[in-house]
Amino acid sequence: MASSSSSGLTFKLHPLVIVNISDHYTRVKSQMNPPPVTSTSATVNGVEPLQQAPRVYGCVIGVQRGRTVEIFNSFELLYDPSTHSLDRPFLEKKQELYKKVFPHFYILGWYSTGSDAQESDMHIHKALMDINESPLYVLLNPTINPAQKDLPVTIYESELHVIDGIPQLIFVRSSYTIETVEAERISVDHVAHLKPSDGGSAATQLAAHLTGIHSAIKMLNSRIRVLHHHLVGMQKGDVPCENSLLRQVSSLLRRLPAIESEKFQDDFLMEYNDTLLITYLAMFTNCSSTMNELVDKFNTAYDRHSRRGGRTAFI
Amino acid sequence: MDSSIAQKTWELENNILTVEKPDPSSDSIFYYDEAAQAKFQQEKPWANDHHYFKRVKISALALLKMVVHARSGGTIEVMGLMQGKTDGDAIIVMDAFALPVEGTETRVNAQADAYEYMVDYSQTNKQAGRLENVVGWYHSHPGYGCWLSGIDVSTQMLNQQFQEPFLAVVIDPTRTVSAGKVEIGAFRTYPEGYKPTDDPISEYQTIPLNKIEDFGVHCKQYYPLDITYFKSSLDCHLLDLLWNKYWVNTLSSSPLLGNGDYVAGQISDLAEKLEQAENQLAHSRIGPLGPPRKKEESQLAKITRDSAKITVEQVHGLMSQVIKDILFNSVRQSNRSHNEQSGPEPMVEA
Repeated sequence: MASSSSSGLTFKLHPLVIVNISDHYTRVKSQMNPPPVTSTSATVNGVEPLQQAPRVYGCVIGVQRGRTVEIFNSFELLYDPSTHSLDRPFLEKKQELYKKVFPHFYILGWYSTGSDAQESDMHIHKALMDINESPLYVLLNPTINPAQKDLPVTIYESELHVIDGIPQLIFVRSSYTIETVEAERISVDHVAHLKPSDGGSAATQLAAHLTGIHSAIKMLNSRIRVLHHHLVGMQKGDVPCENSLLRQVSSLLRRLPAIESEKFQDDFLMEYNDTLLITYLAMFTNCSSTMNELVDKFNTAYDRHSRRGGRTAFI
Repeated sequence: MDSSIAQKTWELENNILTVEKPDPSSDSIFYYDEAAQAKFQQEKPWANDHHYFKRVKISALALLKMVVHARSGGTIEVMGLMQGKTDGDAIIVMDAFALPVEGTETRVNAQADAYEYMVDYSQTNKQAGRLENVVGWYHSHPGYGCWLSGIDVSTQMLNQQFQEPFLAVVIDPTRTVSAGKVEIGAFRTYPEGYKPTDDPISEYQTIPLNKIEDFGVHCKQYYPLDITYFKSSLDCHLLDLLWNKYWVNTLSSSPLLGNGDYVAGQISDLAEKLEQAENQLAHSRIGPLGPPRKKEESQLAKITRDSAKITVEQVHGLMSQVIKDILFNSVRQSNRSHNEQSGPEPMVEA
């Protein structure tokens, strides 16, 4: 069912959507399985056996600009098990509400949890086609697998393929990138690593900032090493020579140095100088403040305006 | 091996408490116990103790939504509501949603259609499985810090009379981006006429000159609450994996670029404060040495702190730029002689 998409659209996913879906799933799951240790409340319906992981459904919204589809946000939807479709009036109500606050976002598709796309999903998918001709299906796999290296999120599109002479819609997998704005990145970082939230000393802030960059560079380094290892293998002949990969690597390398022009150098140095100027001014302010305090203390210690006159020794 | 010692020293210095990784059983915080909540509502333990609620726990989702919404408003103040529940002396915020109101200085309260929106949204949410009630409101102060203005204080006092338990949260998205950490504050007001017995130590933050009066008049009428964050085990897992794709953004972020005009505003504000301080200091006479006053810093000391903060942020931004330059542009440097290694060594371990 899943082959590679050929629509040529690029997908950008915001982390907010991922956290949204995860929260929805956790909520529903935890409401279905009440925690064993509760206070003496009347709603404890005995100990129920751990139920099957529920599937949750919802809608994803965002913006489509040309060939780029950017998914910003999502909200929950109700699933009607009798008709195997999503509750339509509910969807429209929610859509209205979200339009008021985020007027630029359109419905781009829907999401669900599970390990793989299923036949019944196509039914829901088709139902959404009147809102958006080519909706997306975002699937999140909620099983926690510590060995997993990749995000368990897949985006499917639907394509009309001719199978056995009958044109059918099937799901095809598409690739996506994670896109973010600065504020989102900082809050995700904050929650992910639970950094010290208060000001702390300047040393703490510096350490936090540099640690972030250090981790990012470590990642970059490890990725480059993997690539390097692969290329060395290719050179030795262990790995079959792949020309397209070689072309990509070559184009990547040719992009370095990233910018090299007189204008860039000038602007860069100007920015550098501006920052140094700010540091200089701050230093100045600091020095003048210290001087001021010193003069105050001096005047207090050797007070010439007191009645006794002359110097009073400061004991 | 020094890095591990350095890390331990740093952790010790800053009292880093390692939060255990949440396992599925601790996701119990997500369970909404209706009866227990109703019982708590009836008991009203906060009615007698004005300082009852001391802590706030915010979920990862709520924080993300609030920050993104606040940032999307740009320089306009935005507001929204938070949903959640209470747990002893802590208020737990599970989710947040935005309200379609335009924030202006003279806005007293959300208008009528915002109320309608609130009701509609709460209803649909209950159907979709979000059972919590509205437990507070949040709004943004883009660029001027996390505190409650006069209008905010009166709004919150009203809320605390009729909609208890209620919490006020303020987010500053501009400072968040500039400082690289989330600027957020949670507050509850004291009722009219109540004087707190002890003076709570609040973290110092710089307030622009045009707002400083508003801040000073009302700052004793409310108290801040401690904020901690929590996330589910699935969130934890996903966020870890997210890092695999995310590191590119960390490296490519350029805070200097994004916040240029904010920094310019800060510096000009600082210049005005400096002028004021100059007038104040020139006219003060050194009186007899009175009893040791509280740590009432002089204007100049405060200005020094502000300028240090701005500088630190700028230097951080510049460091990122220099590192990027070295990483991606140093190909030409290696072509020149190796004597002129001007910048710091790249941090890549061999």
